[in-house]
Amino acid sequence: MPLLQSADWPLLIDLYFFLAGLAGGAFVIAAIADLLGGERNRSVVRVGYYLALLAVIPCPIFLIVDLGVPSRFLHMLMSLKPDQAIGAAAINIGQFHIKPFSPMNMGAWALLGFSALAFLAALSVFLEDAKRGRDLSAFRATVGIIGGFFGFFLAAYPGVLLGATARPLFQNGSFLGALFLAVGASSGAAAIALILSFLGQGAGGTLGQLRQIIIPALLLQAATLALFLLRVGMSGGEGAAQSLALLLSGPYSLIFWVGAVAVGLVVPFVLQIVTRQPGLVAISAVLILVGGFLVKYVIIAAGQVVLS
Amino acid sequence: MARTVAMFTDVSLCIGCRACQVACKQWNQLPAEEPEWTGTYQNHANFTDKSYRLVRFFEQKDDKGGLQWNLMSDVCKHCAEAGCLEACPTGAIYRTQYGTVNINQDICNGCRYCVSACPFGVVAFNHDTGRASKCTFCNDRLHNGLGPACAKACPTESIQFGFRDELAAKARKRVEELKKMGYKNAQLYGEDQNGPLGGLNAFFLLLDKPSGYGLPVKPRLPQNNVFVDSLLSIGSALLVGIGAIVAFRERGGKE
Repeated sequence: MPLLQSADWPLLIDLYFFLAGLAGGAFVIAAIADLLGGERNRSVVRVGYYLALLAVIPCPIFLIVDLGVPSRFLHMLMSLKPDQAIGAAAINIGQFHIKPFSPMNMGAWALLGFSALAFLAALSVFLEDAKRGRDLSAFRATVGIIGGFFGFFLAAYPGVLLGATARPLFQNGSFLGALFLAVGASSGAAAIALILSFLGQGAGGTLGQLRQIIIPALLLQAATLALFLLRVGMSGGEGAAQSLALLLSGPYSLIFWVGAVAVGLVVPFVLQIVTRQPGLVAISAVLILVGGFLVKYVIIAAGQVVLS
Repeated sequence: MARTVAMFTDVSLCIGCRACQVACKQWNQLPAEEPEWTGTYQNHANFTDKSYRLVRFFEQKDDKGGLQWNLMSDVCKHCAEAGCLEACPTGAIYRTQYGTVNINQDICNGCRYCVSACPFGVVAFNHDTGRASKCTFCNDRLHNGLGPACAKACPTESIQFGFRDELAAKARKRVEELKKMGYKNAQLYGEDQNGPLGGLNAFFLLLDKPSGYGLPVKPRLPQNNVFVDSLLSIGSALLVGIGAIVAFRERGGKE
């Protein structure tokens, strides 16, 4: 087996992946709620858009701090030598470059676009709230539709990014992008529900509507996680079985089975189904957030271990 | 683009003297490192940010149960379809006019994506400079009409430098000779431009199967996953979108 190297991305990157997913999920939920009845769903729209903006603000900071040469963060988007051959489908637009097959480059663009749209959406909600009778819903509909695509992209691309490495656990999984998107949806919905119940705005069936998103999102999370593990296990790729064992029965198995699966997925799912008691619903939302972070953290940690 | 150049490493001629490793360090002014005990003569266990050439020593059992010593001077493969180059978000990693793959140290910002993306574990992160580093194919020497320092230093011509097409023809002839001499496992690795990764511009003649030298049997371009992984993500997005629309739809009657 070849000796591979690892980027050794630290906890900061896991946190970024989690926040990016949460921001994307919250934005998409707010946008859909807005488009299907902005007045009726006002509390979800307001909290969702504010949350998306707040969650995305630390993201670029985390990414820049993690760079070996942080002052060069703009190199993610800008080329100093645009005439160089930098990849199969690379597009140069003036001093900027787009590399469709480099998920990190695409993700940097998506983060930029999403941040701008999340700002505009939150601003329009704020301006409406500030002055009675002001109606920015047409503007916010446009921002919501375009930003929704960015939100989906931001939630999913970290998984695709990991899949496009030579690390055996990531490379053979196929479903990491789909899993990360499901986690983004469940954590975005859970965070909105949690904030609404804290603010005492969960009345009028709003929490019930959010539960209708949370339950299928958790099911999707479970399904894509199972498919991911299955794909890795059946790939027969070099090192795949070894790194899967690290996750399922090795040093990371406790965090995986107890943290990401039992406490972070099964328990909150059951709570969502069986109870509508506000306290328990809030606990369930917290557990969903913990589980969403842990499932990303533990897969990334196990996949980055250098095998020999 | 100029004619593609290549390095051909013929392990049947390697005596494990590590002159290539030393010449590489000297020419590229790479500092010394703490030695590592790997259990064999090999040092280090893998490429580092300060070791671009590495003689690997594999001790294995041969068919008769005796010791078989596989020596191989390993180096960046300068793949025709390079995972590091495709992964690089900054455009720091580029294809030179000679067909080699190089990291522009003035552009690299140390994101380390290439380190994870190399199917051979070649690219290493330099914590001192905060940038990724690997074999440059002695880019400065190439520009002055010289081959890489490792090939120049090799006393047995185990490492050869030349135009890719000429070297490939030479390599194919050599493998036939070795087979006639009784080395039935003699084979080329990375010479075939229709093979994995579009062929390697640093290719090898091995006396054993690739796994005997710690090489992946079928190295894959990691970016080949992007399409399918993205499609599955879109499927996931559709399900989430439909779920949210169902949840927030207008439910007949006024609320």
